[in-house]
Amino acid sequence: MAQAEIPYQESMELHHPHSWVTKYWYSQDHKVIAIQYGITAMAVGLVALVLSWIMRMQIGFPETGAAWGITPDIYYQSITMHGMIMVIYLLTAFLLGSFGNYLIPLMLGARDMVFPFVNMISYHVYLLSVIVLLLGYVLPGGPTGAGWTLYPPQAILSGTPGVDWGIITMLGSLAIFIVAFTMGGLNYVTTILQARTRGMTLMRMPLSVWGIFAATVLGLLAFPALFVSAVMMLLDKLIHTSFFMPAIASAFDAAATQYDGGSPLLFQHLFWFFGHPEVYIVALPAFGVVSDLLSVHARKNIFGYRMMVWAIVAIGVLSFIVWAHHMYVAGMHPYFGFFFATTTLIIAVPTAIKVYNWTITLWRANIKFTVPMLFAISFVITFVVGGLTGLFLGNVIVDVPLSDTYFVVAHFHMVMGVSPILVIFGGIYHWYPKITGRMLNDTIGKWHFWVTAIGTYLIYFPMHYLGFVGTPRRYYDNVLASGGESAFYPESAALLNAGISITAFVVGAFQFLFIYNLVVSYWRGREAGPNPWGATSLEWRTPQTPPIHGNWGDQLPTVHRWAYDFSVPGEKEDFIPQDVPRQA
Amino acid sequence: MAEASAGHATIIQDWASDVTTFKGVPWGKAMMWIFLLSDTFIFSIFLTSYMTVRATTAEPWPNASEVFSLMAFGHSVPLLLIAIMTFDLITSSGTMALAVNYGYRRDKRKAIFFICATAFFGAVFVGMQMFEWYKLISEGVRPWGNPWGAAQFGSCFFMITGFHGLHVSAGVVYLLIIAYRLHKGVYDKTNFEIVEIVGLYWHFVDLVWVFIFAFFYLW
Amino acid sequence: MAVAIFLLVLVVGSVVFTFVSPWWFTDIASNWGTIDTTVLITFWVCGVVFVAVGLFMAYSTWKFRHQEDSRAEYEPENSRLEWALTIVTTIGVALMLAPGLIVWEDYVNVPDDAQEFEVLAKQWTWAFRFPGEDGKFGTVHVRNINVDNPFGMNPDDPNGADDVLINRNEVHLPINQPFKALLRSNDVLHDFWVPEIRAKMDAVPGMITYFWFEPTKVGKYDILCAELCGRGHYTMRGEFFIDTQEDFDSWLAAQPTWEQMQAGISPKVYSALARRGREVADTQGCFACHSLDGSQVVGPTWQGLWGSERQLTDGSSVTVDEPYIIESIREPAVQLVEGFAPVMIPYGADLISDDDVEALVAYLREETSPEEEAAEE
Repeated sequence: MAQAEIPYQESMELHHPHSWVTKYWYSQDHKVIAIQYGITAMAVGLVALVLSWIMRMQIGFPETGAAWGITPDIYYQSITMHGMIMVIYLLTAFLLGSFGNYLIPLMLGARDMVFPFVNMISYHVYLLSVIVLLLGYVLPGGPTGAGWTLYPPQAILSGTPGVDWGIITMLGSLAIFIVAFTMGGLNYVTTILQARTRGMTLMRMPLSVWGIFAATVLGLLAFPALFVSAVMMLLDKLIHTSFFMPAIASAFDAAATQYDGGSPLLFQHLFWFFGHPEVYIVALPAFGVVSDLLSVHARKNIFGYRMMVWAIVAIGVLSFIVWAHHMYVAGMHPYFGFFFATTTLIIAVPTAIKVYNWTITLWRANIKFTVPMLFAISFVITFVVGGLTGLFLGNVIVDVPLSDTYFVVAHFHMVMGVSPILVIFGGIYHWYPKITGRMLNDTIGKWHFWVTAIGTYLIYFPMHYLGFVGTPRRYYDNVLASGGESAFYPESAALLNAGISITAFVVGAFQFLFIYNLVVSYWRGREAGPNPWGATSLEWRTPQTPPIHGNWGDQLPTVHRWAYDFSVPGEKEDFIPQDVPRQA
Repeated sequence: MAEASAGHATIIQDWASDVTTFKGVPWGKAMMWIFLLSDTFIFSIFLTSYMTVRATTAEPWPNASEVFSLMAFGHSVPLLLIAIMTFDLITSSGTMALAVNYGYRRDKRKAIFFICATAFFGAVFVGMQMFEWYKLISEGVRPWGNPWGAAQFGSCFFMITGFHGLHVSAGVVYLLIIAYRLHKGVYDKTNFEIVEIVGLYWHFVDLVWVFIFAFFYLW
Repeated sequence: MAVAIFLLVLVVGSVVFTFVSPWWFTDIASNWGTIDTTVLITFWVCGVVFVAVGLFMAYSTWKFRHQEDSRAEYEPENSRLEWALTIVTTIGVALMLAPGLIVWEDYVNVPDDAQEFEVLAKQWTWAFRFPGEDGKFGTVHVRNINVDNPFGMNPDDPNGADDVLINRNEVHLPINQPFKALLRSNDVLHDFWVPEIRAKMDAVPGMITYFWFEPTKVGKYDILCAELCGRGHYTMRGEFFIDTQEDFDSWLAAQPTWEQMQAGISPKVYSALARRGREVADTQGCFACHSLDGSQVVGPTWQGLWGSERQLTDGSSVTVDEPYIIESIREPAVQLVEGFAPVMIPYGADLISDDDVEALVAYLREETSPEEEAAEE
């Protein structure tokens, strides 16, 4: 076949900026939008970090916490907002909005996303969703304290903090976020499918793009469930429909008598039909990015590329039929347990394959312990712990004694809290030189890494054992109401919690060091050059660093090989970029 | 058989190729298809929720053929209005198909005419839906209750037909914008595939109506 | 090097921690030892995988660290190895799944000889019901619930007359007798959980859920709510006793039946204002947290409230009078009674008018004053 013409792309008219405002605010350049997403997500992530300090203060030092004014309301509002911000507004927004926007066109050799204008709107709508979310803090009653799962009837009845405005801003913000995500996500998927450069077949794409691609497709199909349930709960709250609300005798809400005949379980099914794919919306981009980091810094090809791609696809498909493993003790028909336990444990197989392939990539490699590599390695071991504990909770009967305990808290923080965050850090250290043209400070980076990696392990690993003891999650105070020591919360557990809290304060404080590094290195960092790591994928082959609007010069690059030609025998260099032609 | 396997081979070739996965499909069209896939999930979940709620609610469900009847010539005719609405929407699908056809023949004047006709039928549909809402509301149906049985009847009805009505209204606006831009010559350099893209959306909205019709009025 | 040591310490440390830490399952007090077994199977399979992967990584990061003169091996794929790992993983997963499903089968099928009792969850207390001598529960509906009928019993159902009602956070069960717990909730999601029993299940308003277990060890245990149910979630505790059959029988016999409860409600004569106060207390849901029979639930009981001495959290004490009651309604956290959590919301004028507060005070004076004093007035 003659060399295919690239429709539209080469004649694409880019909207060039004319002023500071159009360059940095109303920008249609995917790279600027990526940075906008990144900064906003990090800013709101810092809010969530402070919230985690508030709740760790209360859990570790209940008496001091109460004396400092942490009431049950503040505690429950903090856990709710912390969870929702971290899952949606930080992790999803950062991995897809920031990494997705930055990497997709560059890695595929495209000039930009296919619809830059829609992409720009996507960011502004996302920003609006963040503002609406935080409005909960200034409106009467404060933000919602219903837990990030927002289970009705509790979420909209007095007796839970934030039922005046907080729950409304929360649901509204989620609906707005979904609109933003859809606009961005349509762009990502269309760009990946239809706007690759010459020679870039799907099976030559770096795994980062594969992970982001699969996650975006999941998002486009899973977020509708959250959107619909948010609409229905808003109607229940505002005009007293009864989708999720059965007949209720509430001691705290006189209006509750208006409800009749709804189904609280329906909400849980809808929420987790979104919620479980959401786990993989966060995990799959992290899987992809970490594969690339490991490969580049180990100077070795990723092991089993095809298997890795198929594992991503398999995990994505399976993630839609495992949702009810979050509901084993929720009162649904018990026979569902057989089905969902089986599907859930099947999903462990492709996930395990990914872990094997990461570790085998290290075998007979030539590992450079750069800061991104350190984060990538700590991701693998953290993910192994989080993934294995998933086998406890996914296996229906094993879940029974452990659900709603600290075992669950430890599990999901390991697997979808700390793990993707480690990848985000690794990714930032890896791509910062391309984004700014300067390296991040290595010494600060190593300090940041060691404290974060060791600290998070010390925080979450012991929590599993609190779960075995039976310490329930989401308790404002484990001692007060029982009037002393109890079997499910021995004194040693209180001591452990105090230790965990102190560790959490330290680890949290070190994240500000990271922010400092980001800011200072922008001006003072060492010049990076176009390809400081000796990487092969296209984003390191732009004519300028940082890449200018339009990314490539007159001619789009042409791809001749996969993204993992490291240490090819007989070659002088230990890496061959994707656009280097094969020897005839 | 040979044809089928040839089709199979083409699919593999397309997915294994560079640049584009769907050959000859413009970006906008690909994006619209993906959007509609996502939107399909929204409506499926709305309808699944409706069926779940209908199955779990404690009160009996109102009888659709009585609720949705219309007085005509002194008789109560079940589903009369709905039949007209459905006919109207199917007609609009027909005019949309004609618009797409003329678009590809680059007959701008006829394409614009049929787009406007589609928008007109869409607006008529929204008007009739408003009339239906008005009639039900005046009979005492509210999202939180109605005189005949389960409150969820009104909740689901207003929510889902409302959401669909918003889609139709947005579609009317979308059609008019495209007609205007077509008239202004914005798309003169292209193949007029924008007409097909807006047509995809419109046919989707019609298709959703068929499901709503079946689930609300015939069940 | 540092990374290899880090990984090694992580693996060794985790294993050591497992053996030396004091935290493990509490002693089991039910038949669900099989659940513990499935947990242990999973624990060991996963533990072995964790150690294997961790040590492999530690070795690789030490052995294959960057050296200027060395090169990585170029090995894109190895189908045999990949398939072997896939098959081994599948077998490992099946080894965990199969016993899990077998025990789950047991969990969802209640044995024929199981007796029933009902757990009624509400913000933020527990109540319990036994079917009485006829072995049948009377029907209930949340719309029937009021202060004199906290279970929402259907007054016309003869099956309900001998139902034993325990409207406080305490329940006893006899040892070695399988029980099916029927769970229902008045308001939001709750979850009945005694860690030593292992089993748990959500209570969902609008439906009845269940699980079963057989108590096997005499003792007193904590009941926890394991599903977030509002600001007082953590205060939703109860006491769970496993008794010998004789102890249980005598305990159960001492509990009131629905019939007795109704008979015991003497129509008390209130002044007009106090009668309105009683209505305010009903509609505002005061009785969800404040009992009249002396049981301490979420809030302090109202029995003998008027004129009594209350110990406060700051160590001081206060005599209950009109200003104190008004303050406790308007700003409940200011003078908090010792032993209670600050979960009551401040009822401002937008929630309860001054008139209603006055009526409430009148009601409390007439309802909770010591007998003689009330007679004097």
